Formats: sequence, structure tokens, C-alpha cells
Amino acid sequence: MAYMNMSMGEAHRRITDYLNRFSDAVSSQDGASFKSLFALSSNSPFLLSLADAVALFHDANRLINQSDSYSQFSDILLPLLRSVQNYKQGDFVEAYLAFEKTANAFIQEFRNWESAWALEALYVIVHDIRVLAEKADKELASTGKSPEKLKGAGSFLMKVFGALAGKGSKRVGALYVTCQLFKIYFKLGTVHLCRSVIRSIETARIFDFEEFPKRDKVTYMYYTGRLEVFNENFPSADYKLSYALKHCNPQREANIRLILKHLIPVKLSIGILPNHRLLEKYSLLEYSNIVLALRRGDLRLLRCALQDYEDRFLRSGVYLVLEKLELQVYQRLVKKIYIIQKQKDPSKAHQVKLEVIVKALKWLEIDMDVDEVECIMAILIYKNLMKGYFAHKSKVVVLSKTDPFPKLIGKPVNS
Amino acid sequence: MGEKEERVMEGGNGNQRSSFSQPWRSRRQNLASNALHQSKVSNFAQRSTPSNTSTTGYASTSSFNESQDHDAPRSSDSGPIVGTCPYMCPEGERVQREKLRDLTVFERLNGNPGKSSSALAVKKFCRTISSKDVQASDLRPLAVLEDTLNFLLSLLESKEHLFEVVHDFIFDRTRSIRQDLTMQNIATKKAICMYEGMVKFHVVSHYKLWCSVSDPKITSMRHLNMEQLTKTLASLFNLYEANRISNYVHENEAEFCSLYVLLHLGSHSKPMGEPLSFWFSHVSAPILKSKEMCFARRILRSFRLGNYKDFFCTAAAQATYLQYCIMEPYINEVRALALSCINFGSYKLHPYPLFDLSKHLMIKESDLESLCNSCGLETCTDESGNKLLPTKQSTFSHPKGGFQSYSFLGLQEYEGQI
Repeated sequence: MAYMNMSMGEAHRRITDYLNRFSDAVSSQDGASFKSLFALSSNSPFLLSLADAVALFHDANRLINQSDSYSQFSDILLPLLRSVQNYKQGDFVEAYLAFEKTANAFIQEFRNWESAWALEALYVIVHDIRVLAEKADKELASTGKSPEKLKGAGSFLMKVFGALAGKGSKRVGALYVTCQLFKIYFKLGTVHLCRSVIRSIETARIFDFEEFPKRDKVTYMYYTGRLEVFNENFPSADYKLSYALKHCNPQREANIRLILKHLIPVKLSIGILPNHRLLEKYSLLEYSNIVLALRRGDLRLLRCALQDYEDRFLRSGVYLVLEKLELQVYQRLVKKIYIIQKQKDPSKAHQVKLEVIVKALKWLEIDMDVDEVECIMAILIYKNLMKGYFAHKSKVVVLSKTDPFPKLIGKPVNS
Repeated sequence: MGEKEERVMEGGNGNQRSSFSQPWRSRRQNLASNALHQSKVSNFAQRSTPSNTSTTGYASTSSFNESQDHDAPRSSDSGPIVGTCPYMCPEGERVQREKLRDLTVFERLNGNPGKSSSALAVKKFCRTISSKDVQASDLRPLAVLEDTLNFLLSLLESKEHLFEVVHDFIFDRTRSIRQDLTMQNIATKKAICMYEGMVKFHVVSHYKLWCSVSDPKITSMRHLNMEQLTKTLASLFNLYEANRISNYVHENEAEFCSLYVLLHLGSHSKPMGEPLSFWFSHVSAPILKSKEMCFARRILRSFRLGNYKDFFCTAAAQATYLQYCIMEPYINEVRALALSCINFGSYKLHPYPLFDLSKHLMIKESDLESLCNSCGLETCTDESGNKLLPTKQSTFSHPKGGFQSYSFLGLQEYEGQI
């Protein structure tokens, strides 16, 4: 144990030092120093050695009550020191419980501070309460107990949101809290809960979206964009995820990759194909065969790609979106046949026998009878992916002479 | 002795509470295998709880008061309460209802509205019961609950009464059964069996109530039934997780998961509030690969692509009865889509033969004609007497009162169950 090497005097000194930093930060409203006092999950050497000191000293309470300048914050400090100690020792449930107490006491004080000087510290607390809750839940689950700390953290965050939803300068913090809430809800699987906080951000008059920090806007658009993908609102998803992409720090490649992972299926659904270089640069090669299938009209390739990466696509929630691309692949296939026919005999090119399509599919090892092909043609025409008509008796599809294969150009397929 | 007592909340409230509201019993920690699967339990439980905003539009709080009231009452030291009522209905309740003449037709002895018996009376669902007031003598133990459920489900065979009347009774009394199960924290494999039976009841009701869709009273019954269907299904999923050891998949789990998927047919279905894509991101591999899930996914895909040919072929070839019951309301939607497509894109000069179309849509030709008419489309006949659908008609519209029930060729054995 590291603290064995520390003397009692040293432990006393470190704790007092911490307490002084705390009271100094408050009295001079020094947000930058203040926030470092709460950053448990950062594993800073400063806090790690504090943890040792607290473990050794035992009676931090006495120290806290020694001076008025920090005894007035004992509700924040006492559980905080406990939490720091528990965290280092790997008792995450205890660390969370103590940190939650600190956080609640902090909010009380925070409300009283007029300016937004302590906002950075609030961010740290909001972030760490989530991280601690996740670790606590893992610990609970592994010992057969019910994991509900993350849910509790979510409730706390709603409280924080309420404390920020006012006219003052603190309100710019609301988006950060919102994003942390999104992370919690996505992790818990309760994404429908995002709706109410989204409503608050987007309709409350006190909030002006443009005022929020850029970093938070990007995260917000990423999550709300993902929700739009789940709900298959493609124009909206495109707007939001593109916004996130455009404003994301270009050096944050991992984040860009995440955004692209969800944006690409959306773009594909509206007829926009990424080039291979993009996929390579951000390691998104699972999409390369899908793009190729769309370019070639190769239904087999699409289905294979979906199968090969089924797990990945299901986990990111884009599988159902990608499945729907089949219609565009059919469109491309018929177009290719049309082009080939045009080269052979332009005057007859616009008449495509269903049997020819059956043969083309068979060549792709896809077994489809002429009735199903007719059905597909009917759907393509109905959804305006093809212009023309089909004749059941003659088993032929007759394409319009002008623009028989309208491009999607940024609009999703008609539903 | 052999029963594992675990805590499961019926349905669970997605907003405030975990499905597992209290710490697990300490004896669980001794079972090493549990340590592994509890993490899955908790994650799944939280994910599969139904949302407050069900599409039925019913006030969300009322449906969740039910589950909140089911907090297991604690006896003095540790265990949840164990019921001791030996009858389907606690005697006190039966006597009181006899006095008040509050007996359904099924509970009356020799038709006497003021007299019942222990063989006929079944405990009513009580919305306002608080866990503090519950006595062990009011709760039915597992064995009695099993018998009660069997008794109730056997009433479904009865031809004496209208289906709606039978449904109403079973609806209420099975809700009471779930209440008793939750209050005693019974979450064993036997509970799974019972919940599966209750989900089946709701699924079949979903179909049978749909058949008489024009009656407004029945429309509200359908909403309520759908609400209970999704809640009970969610509880069933929780039970599967609670009883899971490593990757084991329960016998009927794949089919019930497939029913969940099929509930999402229809353009704007979100029966449980969570998007289907999100649900799929957490389904285990053995379930995904199961025959039932593959079927459901294929049906979903065909539906979403508008591939009516594959939709009907697949349905006719592989649908189980329960799957059919869930799908039925959407089947005519697909048929109507097919009619739209044909009306829109088929060659103007060659009206489409109904005979061929009826094969594609797995429907009797006469029913197809009827469907065309209810969609505002006229049919005609050629010299040889063949029925045809002229295309490019401008009068197509979905029937205002919804679709009636039509035949489904290839699944006639299911239709006979009405």
C-alpha cells in the first residue's frame, strides 16, 4: 500500500493542502483550480496521493471542521474525500455513493453562486458521476446485485439541468449536461427518455442554440442525429450528422469516424455515395462492398456484405437502413441492362423483358421467379425509382424514353 | 426449496425505476454461475422495459401504477411474502362479491348472479392495492396460480359466449395473476411458462378482436389489449434474462422475440417506445440465427421494401399461428400496396387478371374482388368470364373503417380458429 510510506504528518499536510485549495478556489472564484479538485476519473497524481493520505489519516472530518473556510463546505468535502479514497481502492459502489452526496451538496452551493465561475467544475462532476455510476453498476452486476446507479446518475443530471435552465450565464452549461444524459440513456437503452430533454433544449425560449459551446453542439447533433437514424428520418439525420461532421475538430479522428459510421448509411439512402478514400481513411471498410453493390447493381454483393458485417451493423443500429438499399440496387441492375441493350439496339432498349432480369439475377446466384421480378418492377415504378410501366401479359417492363431512372439526389426513396 | 426467489417487476417503469428495484437476495451470491449472468440480466432488463409513451395513447402513468403497486411487501425479516390462499379467489373477496352481486357470467353457480363457488370464482385485478395492505391469505401461491391460469385459458374454447365477453374476463383475471406473481417475486421457469401463456392469450385476442374492428367498444379493447400484450411481453423478456445461464436460450424464446419484431410491422409502429434498430443491437446471436427470428426479419424486410410477392410466399410457408395473429392486421395493408402498385404501373391496355394476382397475394379471388372494391377500385370481366383489374384508376383509397378480414390461402388452418 502506497500510503504506508507516507507519514501521518505528511498525510495531514496533504489533506489540509487540498482543503486550502478548495477554499481558495471558492473565495477567488477560480474555476480552473476548482475543477481539478473533483476530477476523480482523471487519475491525477494529485488526487491519487490525496486518496492515500485520506486512507492513512482516517479522521478527515476533524480536519475539515478545524477551519471555517472549509467547514462550511463539509457536506461537499467529507463525502468527496471518502469518494477519492474509495475510488483509488477500487470500491466503485462506495465511491459512487459518496460522490453522489458530494454532487448533491455541490448543486446546492452552485445555485447560490451568481456567476458561472464554477461551471467547469460542474462539468467535471457531471462527467465523473456518470463514469463512476457505470463502474459501480459493473461492480454490482458482477456480484449479482441490481445495477441502478447509472439510472440514479441520470436523475441527478436532470436536477442539474434544472439548475441551469434559467436566465443567467449558467445556462450555456445545459447542453453539456444534455449530452451526458444522452450518453446515459444510450447506455441504459432508454433512448426514448432523450425526447423530453431535447424538447427542453429546442423549444425553451431561454436557450439559444448558437450560444452553446461548439464542442457541445457537435456532440448534441451527433446524438440527436443518431436518434433520427433510428427513426429513419433521413433528411433530418443527414442535416444533424452533417452538422456534427462539419464542426467536429478535424483532429478528433475517432469522433469523425463515429459520425461517419452513422452518416454513411443515411447518405446512401439518399443516393449519395462516399468515395473509397474516405472509407479507408476512417477505417469504415465495412461499407465498401455496399457502395460497390450500389454502383454495380450487384444484389448478391449487397446481401453478402450485410451478412459479413451483420453484427457490426446491428450493433450500431444501421442494419435495417442498409437493408432498404436493395431497391436502389435493383434500380441500378435494370439500368445496366438498359444501357447494354441500348448499345445493341437503341430503338428497342427501353423494353426490358422480365426474363432477362431473371437471368441477370440468376447469374448473381439469386433465384427469383418472373412474378417476383414483376413485383419488384412494380415497386420501383411506384416509388419513382423507375419511370415506365410493366405489362403482365407480355412479361416486359417498358421504360420511359426520358429519364427512366430518376436519381435520388438527396431525397430518400418515396415511402 | 427449489424455487429461486428473484425480484422481477411486472413491466417496469422505464422512467424512474429499474426493473429490479431492490438488491438481490444475498444467497444469490453463493451461486457462482449467477455472477456471470446477472450483468446480462440487469442490462437486458433495463433495455426491454416498455416506455411510458406507448402508441395506444393511453395515459402512461395509469398503466405503470400497476407495476409500482407491485412492490413486493416485505415480511418482517428477509423473504418476500408467500401466498397461502388455496382457492382461485380469496374467500373473503368471493363472499363480498356474492353479496354485492358482482359476479361475471363465468363465476355464477347455476347462473345465479348472487352465488358463486370456490371452483368458479377468480380473483379480480385490483388497481389500488398497496403492498403494505396485502395479507398472505389474499395471495395465491404458484401452484394455485398455475391452476387458475389453466382454468382461465380453457374458457377460450367456450362457444357459449361472445369472444369479447370471454376476453374481458380473462384479460382482467390474468392481470390479477400477474399481480400475485409480482407481489411474491416469483420469477422462476414456471413463471416463464405462465407469462408465455398470457402473452399468447393477448396475441390471439389481438387478432380476434381485430376481426370486428368497426365496433368502437372493441377498438378500445384492442388498445388496452395491445398495452397489456407489450407489458407482458416485456416482463417475459425480463424473466428469460433472469433465468439465463451463460448463452442458454429458452425453448420458446425465439418465437416470442419474433413476435416482438412482427409488432413493428406497419409504418409507424413503436409498440414499446424504443426503436426496433435499438432493440436489435442487443439481441443475442442464438436468437438472431433462430428460424423464428429469421422469418420475422425476412417478413419485416419484404414489408419495408414493398416486396409483396416475397411477403406472402414467406408468410404462407413459415408463419406459426402466433406469428400469423400478430401479422394479420398488416396483411391487407400489403395487399392494398400491391393494388396501388399495379394500379399505378401496370399497362393501361391490359387489365390485370385477378386470378394471377390472387395467387401472389394468397387470397381467394372473390375476396380480392371485394378488397379491390373497398379500395375504390372497379373490376371488370372479359369475354371468357375472367375477372380483371383495369389500371390507372384514379379512385384508389384506403377504406375508411380499415380492412375487413379476408382469406389467407395456405394458412387456412389458422383461420379456422376463429
